[in-house]
Amino acid sequence: MRRSWTGASRAAAAALLVAAALVLLPAGAAAHPMDTQNAAFVQGVDGPAPAPFMYLGAKHMVTGYDHLLFLVGVIFFLYRLRDVVLYVSLFTLGHSITLLFGVLGRLEVNAYIIDAIIGLSVCYKAFENMGGFERVLGFRPNTKMAVLIFGLFHGLGLATKLQEFTVTDNGLVANIFSFNAGVEIGQILALTAVLVGITAWRMRPSFVRHAFVTNAVLMGGGFVLTAQQLFGYVFYP
Amino acid sequence: MPDTAPPPVSIRKLALAALASLVAAGLVFVGAVLPAEYGVDPLGTGEIFGLLALAQVVAVTSEEGEYRLDTVELPLAPGEWVEYTYRLEEGAAMLYTWQATGAVEYNLHSAPDGAPPGYAESFDSAASDAATGSYIAPFTGIHGWYWENPGTSEVMITMHTAGFYRDAHVVRARADGYRTLTDVRGNPVE
Repeated sequence: MRRSWTGASRAAAAALLVAAALVLLPAGAAAHPMDTQNAAFVQGVDGPAPAPFMYLGAKHMVTGYDHLLFLVGVIFFLYRLRDVVLYVSLFTLGHSITLLFGVLGRLEVNAYIIDAIIGLSVCYKAFENMGGFERVLGFRPNTKMAVLIFGLFHGLGLATKLQEFTVTDNGLVANIFSFNAGVEIGQILALTAVLVGITAWRMRPSFVRHAFVTNAVLMGGGFVLTAQQLFGYVFYP
Repeated sequence: MPDTAPPPVSIRKLALAALASLVAAGLVFVGAVLPAEYGVDPLGTGEIFGLLALAQVVAVTSEEGEYRLDTVELPLAPGEWVEYTYRLEEGAAMLYTWQATGAVEYNLHSAPDGAPPGYAESFDSAASDAATGSYIAPFTGIHGWYWENPGTSEVMITMHTAGFYRDAHVVRARADGYRTLTDVRGNPVE
């Protein structure tokens, strides 16, 4: 029993620290900083502009820490590169589908709600990594399906973001694909960094010892993101 | 299924960790996110740590220059162009509105001080008979409009501006491509 107490209090302290860092690092920026300058450019675009949209997609991914936190959760216990590629491909498949059809179909979903669900996807993945589902439900829901389904939601988030800027139909498909290609490039860049860090950490015995706490911290980060979006939904619709 | 299943965990440890993460998230949200992102400060932490400033929208910029008004009428013969520019310091603002009695081709452009001759950055380029807006000089230099009359009848451009510019300057000439007409023997036509 004593061990669980120290584990939990350490979790609380670490959660507070990391969550504070989460908030302070990108201080002043929303979860997805799309600079006004970038936005002005996107609104002025009439026709295909591959490089700028690729850049925006990559920037969105590298600076969008809700996607990054989710990916950290996904690859946390993936030791083999094959599994990393498999799970990340499922995530990519999911978000590509909804990004493409969300923008093409002019799907109008509330950005706050989608971003809140994305925040909860971080909590879900962290809870899964903590072994929570086995304990509470007695089994672990299919992890591949979970990544695919949350990928669909992350793609809806990308779609609402791209739609916030009145992108004209002229060159729309080319621009969506460019944006998506940029998202994948940004994802690979970010994943490489995260993978290097986690792999180095796995060599040490502290990895197994702190895995639980780390995922509790991840969960806290997901809660913060969710709370921020829900507050926005209620008070700044 | 990942290679390594997480070690078994007691329900108590799980509940405590989830609760701790929820409480920590709540504290961070109320103490830091609310003041920094929304300007709401229930715990006063935004005030203490200066986070509230992040949520403030800067609506007022004070200017050092002198406030000036300018109204100008510029007639444009067919094929003629005119440039009307102001000197603005970096960051100085200007409001403008202009109308033409016919369609003209125009652009709003600037050249920084010290730029090579002929260098200009174009911000708004279109064919229209009116434009209205605000402009904030991205650098110190000359900033203004180029209008060209592509039509076959004279056009009058009327512009009003207000802002912190120093002086105005007019350049006028025939557009490129305007040629002296000749008769069938090649003699100039008056």
